[in-house]
Amino acid sequence: MNTAAPDKASITIDGRTSEVAPGVTILTAARQMGISIPTLCNYRGMEPIGACRVCIVELETPRGPRQVSSCNYPVEDGMKVNTDTPAIRESRTIILELLLAEAPNSKKLAEFAAALGVTSTPFEKKPDGECILCGLCVKVCGDLMGRGAISMFGRGAKREVLPAYDEKSEQCQVCGACDFVCPTDASDHTHVATAATRKHLTAYNQYLEARPNIDMAHPQATPRVPFIDRKTCVHLTTGECGLCAEVCGAGAIDYEQKETIQELDVGAVLLTPGFSAFDPLRRIEYGTGFDANVIANTQFERLLSAAGPTKGHVRRPSDNATPKSIAFIQCVGSRDSKMCNDYCSSVCCMAATKEAILAKQHEPDTQVTVYYMDMRAYGKDFDRYFNRAKEMGVSYVRCRPSSVEQVSGTKNLKITYMSEDNRCVTAEHDLVVLSLGLEPSASLKDQVDRFNVMLNQWGFVLTSELSPLETSRPGVFVGGALAEPKDIPDTVMQASAVAAKAMALLASARGTRVKTKTYPPERDVTDEPPRVGVFICHCGSNIASVVDVEAVVQRTKTLPFVVHAERNMYTCADDTQDQIKDKIIKYRLNRVIVASCTPRTHEAIFRDTLRDAGLNPYLLEMANIRDQCSWVHTGEPDKATEKAKDLVRMTVGRTVGLKPLVESTVPVKNAALIIGGGVGGMTAALSIADQGYGVFLVEKENVLGGMAREIHETLDKSNVSAFVSHLIDRVESHPRIKAYLHSTVKKVDGHVGDFTSDIVTPETTLKVEHGVVILASGAKELKPQSFGYGKSDKVITQLELSGRIARNELALPEKSTIVMIQCVEQRNDERPYCSRVCCTTAVKNALLLRKRYPKARILVLYREMRTYGFREAAYREARENGIMFVRYDDKRLPEVAVDKGLTVRVTDKILGRELIMTPDLLVLAAPIVARDDRQDLSDLLRVPLNADGFFLEAHVKLRPVDFASEGLFLCGTAHSPKFISETISQANAVAGRAASILSRKRMPVGAQTAWVDPNKCIACMTCVHVCPYLAPQIGKDNKAEIQAAVCMGCGSCTSSCPAKAITLHHYLDVQILGAINSLLAGTFEEQPVETTYLEKVGVAQPRWKK
Amino acid sequence: MIVADRKKIPEIRDMVQGHNRILVVGCGTCVTVCLAGGERETGIIGSALRMSLKLAGRENVAVHECTIERQCEDAFIDVLGQRVGEYDAILSLGCGAGVQALAERFPKTAVYPGLNTQFMGILESQGVWAEKCAGCGNCRLGQYFGICPITRCSKRQLSGPCGSSRNGKCEVSEQTDCAWQLIYDRAKSLGKVAMLESVAVPQDWSTSNDGGARKVVREDQCIAGMGPKA
Amino acid sequence: MTQQPVILAFCCHYCAYAAADMAGSMRLQYPSNVRVLRFPCTGKIEENHLLAAFEKGVDGVLVAGCLEGGCHFLEGNLRAKKRVQRVKQILGEIGIEPERLEMFNLSSAEGPRFAEIVKEMNARIAPLGVSPLRKSETHLENGIAEMALQAEKAIQGGNR
Repeated sequence: MNTAAPDKASITIDGRTSEVAPGVTILTAARQMGISIPTLCNYRGMEPIGACRVCIVELETPRGPRQVSSCNYPVEDGMKVNTDTPAIRESRTIILELLLAEAPNSKKLAEFAAALGVTSTPFEKKPDGECILCGLCVKVCGDLMGRGAISMFGRGAKREVLPAYDEKSEQCQVCGACDFVCPTDASDHTHVATAATRKHLTAYNQYLEARPNIDMAHPQATPRVPFIDRKTCVHLTTGECGLCAEVCGAGAIDYEQKETIQELDVGAVLLTPGFSAFDPLRRIEYGTGFDANVIANTQFERLLSAAGPTKGHVRRPSDNATPKSIAFIQCVGSRDSKMCNDYCSSVCCMAATKEAILAKQHEPDTQVTVYYMDMRAYGKDFDRYFNRAKEMGVSYVRCRPSSVEQVSGTKNLKITYMSEDNRCVTAEHDLVVLSLGLEPSASLKDQVDRFNVMLNQWGFVLTSELSPLETSRPGVFVGGALAEPKDIPDTVMQASAVAAKAMALLASARGTRVKTKTYPPERDVTDEPPRVGVFICHCGSNIASVVDVEAVVQRTKTLPFVVHAERNMYTCADDTQDQIKDKIIKYRLNRVIVASCTPRTHEAIFRDTLRDAGLNPYLLEMANIRDQCSWVHTGEPDKATEKAKDLVRMTVGRTVGLKPLVESTVPVKNAALIIGGGVGGMTAALSIADQGYGVFLVEKENVLGGMAREIHETLDKSNVSAFVSHLIDRVESHPRIKAYLHSTVKKVDGHVGDFTSDIVTPETTLKVEHGVVILASGAKELKPQSFGYGKSDKVITQLELSGRIARNELALPEKSTIVMIQCVEQRNDERPYCSRVCCTTAVKNALLLRKRYPKARILVLYREMRTYGFREAAYREARENGIMFVRYDDKRLPEVAVDKGLTVRVTDKILGRELIMTPDLLVLAAPIVARDDRQDLSDLLRVPLNADGFFLEAHVKLRPVDFASEGLFLCGTAHSPKFISETISQANAVAGRAASILSRKRMPVGAQTAWVDPNKCIACMTCVHVCPYLAPQIGKDNKAEIQAAVCMGCGSCTSSCPAKAITLHHYLDVQILGAINSLLAGTFEEQPVETTYLEKVGVAQPRWKK
Repeated sequence: MIVADRKKIPEIRDMVQGHNRILVVGCGTCVTVCLAGGERETGIIGSALRMSLKLAGRENVAVHECTIERQCEDAFIDVLGQRVGEYDAILSLGCGAGVQALAERFPKTAVYPGLNTQFMGILESQGVWAEKCAGCGNCRLGQYFGICPITRCSKRQLSGPCGSSRNGKCEVSEQTDCAWQLIYDRAKSLGKVAMLESVAVPQDWSTSNDGGARKVVREDQCIAGMGPKA
Repeated sequence: MTQQPVILAFCCHYCAYAAADMAGSMRLQYPSNVRVLRFPCTGKIEENHLLAAFEKGVDGVLVAGCLEGGCHFLEGNLRAKKRVQRVKQILGEIGIEPERLEMFNLSSAEGPRFAEIVKEMNARIAPLGVSPLRKSETHLENGIAEMALQAEKAIQGGNR
């Protein structure tokens, strides 16, 4: 009978008119307009109940003002509403005073009332009152959860919320919704539920912290999308609730999402799923599961993290106290044949050392003890770090603890172990941390199984020493801890390495699926005065529920140069972006501001929008009013609104000074220069050449192969000699590799993508052009000065022994005595590092000798056996084969006399007795040292060396094969001592990293680079000294010039230049000061520059400021 | 290069007491290179001086900044030209020569130094400058293999080290190299130690500034009617 | 209305700004009087930027960069640290409490630390009160007028 309902209703709230859908409540309309009305019992997404009355507002009616509750009063067309009149304030005050009397014990209510200016109540307070009887909990339990476990009982003053018969009820599903919605924190589901509360624990925080049912995997998760825990979601388990879908303004909740199976057509598979930690419940003697203060190292790591459950304060679980004494137990589930894990997990020694140092740094008085068997500090600079821990007071006790027992009462823990002098010792600690081994979990094995690759005896993917990246199935490659336990740098290396493997395999398909987007031509805005358009985002309710967006829009409209300001529900939505493009054209905008979330995630999106509209992308600026405003000032809407206004104003101040920037490109020379023709250099050369690029391989000796020519076979009995000759054959016959023997590199000019170098060959000097440089210059074994080396022909090094075994040159008596001394002239004050390979080499050679001389007596005098990873199994095999391992102390080195035959004396740490031997052969584990020409190479390429003379990478963990200067890489023993398998991985990694440059025809040069004004430069060299990337150079005119391709855009030079001759594009003074000045500012006087005289005399313009 | 460092802000503030319009003038040559008086430092000192004056209750003093190519050259000073008339004081961030050049050029404007001029020297490493020349007017570096004992020996010894040269360092400070150690080392590497055996003739100090400000006159370069002032 | 102290945070893009964002995604609440300015690296922050903030009447300035040894640009944060020291000295000479300026280091994963830093800085500024260089309430309008002039300059002048 009526006419069709209109689809819009006009409403005026506090003088602002807006159109909303008819039938929505006043409260909803106000929220959409960014006007906040206080309420207690209204919960977004739920039917209004109108119980608390705090949300009252005043309606203007023909009969005068009328007070109604806004949460359940529907909007009518033409309605006029006031939310903040004296009458409303008075009524609201009385309502709050009554509520305060009803629930005087609620802190949450008191805070809420105080924020509205009500701090006390004249009415009689209900003793112990916490609940305002709004019934929200009853409603959520009954209507939303479909349980009805609680209801209102009693009348009048006796009214209260109770479960049926005031008894705990099975009706309660322990979802916690009642507690969650309660506006006064009065609700407590544990009084209702028979079932125990189940906490959702975060995997990210290692089960130390509860999390909501809808959560992000971790704060930096990619993609940054929350997920719903299906197992505990009420909607997905019972069909009830569904509140999140109601609330989400973006409509992003989709309960129907299902796992889908997609078929992909790929040419190579890279397996990098990682590892899982040993389950400590399998070693129950250490108390996991029943002793609260025994935790895993992964958990301890989270306790140390500032973003962890305790905000970086180390607290023990039982009583949240700061532990005074922390114990680490090493090798839990590693080097453990009972658990079938008789390999070493490689990373735990250093991880525990790091955690011990961090714990000490957090609380310097903490006693930290590490119970360990061998300290496997085998990596680059690891020994230094270990020594630092000892200097900081971390104690290391060599043993394998037999048990951990909890002390009743204190819940401290007693660790029992056999000391080195064979006494049974018990030590008490406040907290025990178990260093869990690395192993492939059942689910990982299951995943890997589907790829039909062979696994080794421990369930890791089977590889061999000379092909560490290939699985048993062609085209399937493996990287990281799935092939063997390894630390971050080794894993990062292998990741790049498998990428190179796949790229070589798929070289012919490279670039075939690339799509390029086209943009309209860019509008020239140079001569236009700034015309700024500001788009302010509600982000659903993320911003609008706190910040009064309309107020920000109105304020922004008053700012100079702002020709358009508007607000959007979601500025990043496709349709809004189309609108932005339209507005850019309609208002002829030449600067765009998006006030929404963080530029870290959205700048690229909006820059693209600008390009689509024909504007230079650098004319965009963002104001972060969500992550850094509405989200962090939820309780202070007024202040948050003011802050948002300030942030937008600062952004306008910056934006008017923005200039269009051009992202240029430089051509790339698609070839690599490799210095060093050993296994590292050749492997890198082949990988790069197989990927389709040219290689200049420069070797200073007259033969390829390097140190590997001395090695006969690896621990897994792969034939190194055959491998090296095969490499040489391939390198020499490869059409894309040019090898120069007996040659050196003399000069390297240019920058990433475009180098020119001189190679000096015996015949001539030739110039080559290339895009990257790879340093693979290797290392060498030091000829020892001690232990009788050089004085007796019975004393040789391990490398010499390897060679003699290979060439079958050993002639020893059947029952001979062979002694090996480890750590010769290394891990001392002069060379405080470990050569990584000697322990394994000794074990390998001892086993080879054992086979040849079954009756020989073989002794290895060692300080610490560092047979990490699967090498541990060989160490075990050696012991089982009767090879004797005698540990000596670094304070009492073995003594060798050569005068009357060869005599070795050593004090056995374990027996506590001196042993005297007269060996037929003494083998020394000499250190691997940096090559003599390291300084020349360092100067040639301008790359740094570490204290031990090895080349220093850009970042020890994250960029292990890159130098800090772009386009320069390193691999092999030039980086640090390592095994052939590791050199092969690293060489492939370098090839992968190099290809990321060589695969391009042109390289983009960042637009945000530094630029020198030659008129102002006085060539003082400051920038040259300051730049960590060597980007500034003194050019032909004796003025500094910055090579844009090398500049990383950090601005270090700009902030050091005494003449202010250098500017960083996009961070000009006018932009930075524009932002600062528009936050708070004083008066300003501008005086014109008088130029007539200058033109006359032709001198440089004076630099007037102010 | 002339090396200088900045004066403390309170000293500058007290110096310019009573002036209402102050122009801070930087110099784009030596003092820019030694990071004391270039455009960057001019901005810093200008800003600091404004704040300092404001806190002293002199909010209405105008402090403006400008950097010219070289304060010791009239053509560059003239760039300031009439503008200087708008100010009642200039704070020069040039060396002592610059301050005086400005004072000569603008007889009616007070000119104050913002820097302490230190010495003629060179950059030793980024951020460190070392004195190398005392401007004695009678250079004998050839005799001392390129190391000046007049500037670099605390005692200006001309015929070998004193008795307090210790491990190559001067007794005055552990940080100061013994100039004579350096001279000896260099003589050795040049194979000319024997040259040090003779006793050096005394220095002729008449060329130094003991007799008042000096002048260097090149008649052939003088323009007619514009010779040295009497 | 009484004047609230205003704190300006000069944050590097890679660590401090990311940590500030993380504080947001973790919904950590901290005082609302902080305004963040983003820089590619704290090594880009110049003395005159810090002084300009104080000259304009900002009550506290915090410079937040990556952890030492963790700078995305190798050593920008170490330079910033020294530069902050120098500006603190100049502030002392001027007669402004050097505590109004401080350098902090944090990693991109330390959202809670960012919130803590803002609180720390507030606790430090509270006893010092509003900067003696702060102008009256009219500052804002003047600031906008200045912005307009700055912009005119920007349009006229080249890269300055």
